[in-house]
Amino acid sequence: MLLLALLLIPVATAAASFFARRPKQMEVDNLAGFGLVFLIAIALAAQVLDRGTVSLANGFFHADALSALVILLTASVALICATYSIGYLRDDRQSGELGDDPTGKEQLGQLRIYYTLTPLFVFSMMFMAVANNLGVMWAAIEATTLVSVFLVTFYGKVTSLEAAWKYAIIGGVGLSMALFGTLVAYYAGRRLAGSDALAGLNWSVLAQHAALLDKTSMRLAFVLILMGYGTKAGLAPMHTWKPDAYSEAPVPSAAILSTAMLNCALYGLIRFYILTSRSLGPEYPGRLLLLFGLLSMGISVPFILVQKNYRRLLAYHTIDHAGIMVTALGLGGALGSLGLMLHMTFHTMAKSLLFLCAGNVRQHFKTDLFSEIEGSVIGAMPLTGVIFLMAMLAIIGMPPFSLFQSEFLIVRAAFDGGHLIAGVLFVLFGTGVFAGALLHVGGMILGPHDDASVAPRRPWRDGSLLALAAALVVIGFWVPAPLLELIRGAARVVSGL
Amino acid sequence: MQFGERIVTLMAALVLVLQIAVVAQRWIVTHIRIFAIQSFFLAMIAATIAWFNHAPHIYAAAGLTLVVKVILVPIFLERLVVRMDIREEIKPIVNVPLSVVISGGLTLLGYLVAESFHKPDEPGLGHNELAVAISLFLIGFFTMINRRKALTQVLALLSLENGLFLAAISLTYGMPLIVELGILFDVLVAAMVLGILVYRIRETFESMDVSRLRRLRG
Repeated sequence: MLLLALLLIPVATAAASFFARRPKQMEVDNLAGFGLVFLIAIALAAQVLDRGTVSLANGFFHADALSALVILLTASVALICATYSIGYLRDDRQSGELGDDPTGKEQLGQLRIYYTLTPLFVFSMMFMAVANNLGVMWAAIEATTLVSVFLVTFYGKVTSLEAAWKYAIIGGVGLSMALFGTLVAYYAGRRLAGSDALAGLNWSVLAQHAALLDKTSMRLAFVLILMGYGTKAGLAPMHTWKPDAYSEAPVPSAAILSTAMLNCALYGLIRFYILTSRSLGPEYPGRLLLLFGLLSMGISVPFILVQKNYRRLLAYHTIDHAGIMVTALGLGGALGSLGLMLHMTFHTMAKSLLFLCAGNVRQHFKTDLFSEIEGSVIGAMPLTGVIFLMAMLAIIGMPPFSLFQSEFLIVRAAFDGGHLIAGVLFVLFGTGVFAGALLHVGGMILGPHDDASVAPRRPWRDGSLLALAAALVVIGFWVPAPLLELIRGAARVVSGL
Repeated sequence: MQFGERIVTLMAALVLVLQIAVVAQRWIVTHIRIFAIQSFFLAMIAATIAWFNHAPHIYAAAGLTLVVKVILVPIFLERLVVRMDIREEIKPIVNVPLSVVISGGLTLLGYLVAESFHKPDEPGLGHNELAVAISLFLIGFFTMINRRKALTQVLALLSLENGLFLAAISLTYGMPLIVELGILFDVLVAAMVLGILVYRIRETFESMDVSRLRRLRG
């Protein structure tokens, strides 16, 4: 029942916004819709903790702790972005970013695109997380790309078209490889299918009989899936679409892309990792994941060090963190899996907060470049400045923030598991990112303290920032017991221990 | 059964020839029509297999392919071409004769890869179809790199999907129907989304040459 509501509410929200006549109606629709989705996600998490798995329609929909965690994170990001975007888009409308048509029709059309596509985007991510059938899961991931293309082109600039083109084509090629991988996995499990062909692609069935999967085919399937969903997650060297898309999309959409959608791509990868490691042992997929994970971390370092644009800096940061999470998955075991799930949770909070702060900076200073920001952020917008700096410290892994714990756990998993080189490289790349990010962002926020124009109050945006920042601080010291239990549950799904 | 298998192999060969014909020709409208014919043969392959194996769900997949990839997508793309008024030649990076040779090489590679899946003792189609499928996939990739027109890249992406469809049929007699449905729906939406994007790029840049999309760096 909950699963059905989780899927229907975003669709209803999208429909309501599509037919709404006034901007206010769309705002209310989105806020109410995402509020409900958030509550349902919590209820679903509670149910999963209680019963282990929830399924519907003969196992067509299926949610375990891993799905519940991804759903909860997606729902939280969606809700916070919904509140933030009310203030953000009102500001855009006033400043003429959405076109200067005096009748307001053009602006209304733009808002309709945003408020209709965002719920559909969330819908496709939810659908992915509850689909048991790996083919259906693929179709849902492809749908996330298709829905979000027009969010990237939202401002209709020359550069947004370029970004959207790269995003759609690179994503399309990647996902066609993922579909090939899914097909090969289906072939690998053909002896299990029996007469009921539909169940032959069900993850729960394949995972149960993983030992019977055809081993040669699973090898090929995993490589294709890693390339495919890796492209979607933005792993190097398939990451080139990422900085473009993130820096051209409206900031709330970029926040969803870089957190919830990243989680979704990783979710697809994790599902196949579980099948492959149960069929071939963790060694084979682990090595490949370590390779791509460390490569992504390594590639992001120079780009962060010389970056001139703060939104692109955040994008390279997401590539770095995708690398961290894939490395954690590659290390595997109880410790690596727990590190991965903790990191996914903490990264989702901190990174969305960073993007929202960047949105405030962008709207006040009207630029994306560090060099063109006159004065200091903290002088113009004290609250945004403080939170931006705090979130930056959190995401580069400064204690006492939570990402320090998860990264520490991953490093420990590396050394415990005897992956000496991986551990050393992990720390090395981490240091590079640390230095680069702190240098640029610290300079931008603290900057020369001249008389910058002070920004007016922004209740919707600052309220969202405060709520998320408070959550980020609290979670650094105390993770609520049910959430921790859910994270542990998800880690157990991954490691099988 | 023997007869059916021969027909299927024959049609798969035609599909491969059409894919190489794409590499050899230079007009966008021709490219769209070749894509439609190729999809038509794929649907026929599916229908033949459904007939000889008495598998009704493959009929549905064949019918859907016919509607989406033979009728809807080509019509949409041709209208787009008419609206944008592009008749000009496609300038490939690698010239045509060399492209054809490369495609031949990729076909050979497809056969080598397909060989590893070939198990004579198991029921299923011959490895010819799988080899063709993998070749379609590889040649699709090559077309994508070789042609810099936005619409050609969309068509290449669609032909990757054709390769997957053939692979699915030859490996497992097609994916489950609901998956096939999801895939075709995505193909349809993707063609439309990319088509609109191409149109907007064309309007903004007054060109479809994607090598001009190079403002975003670093």
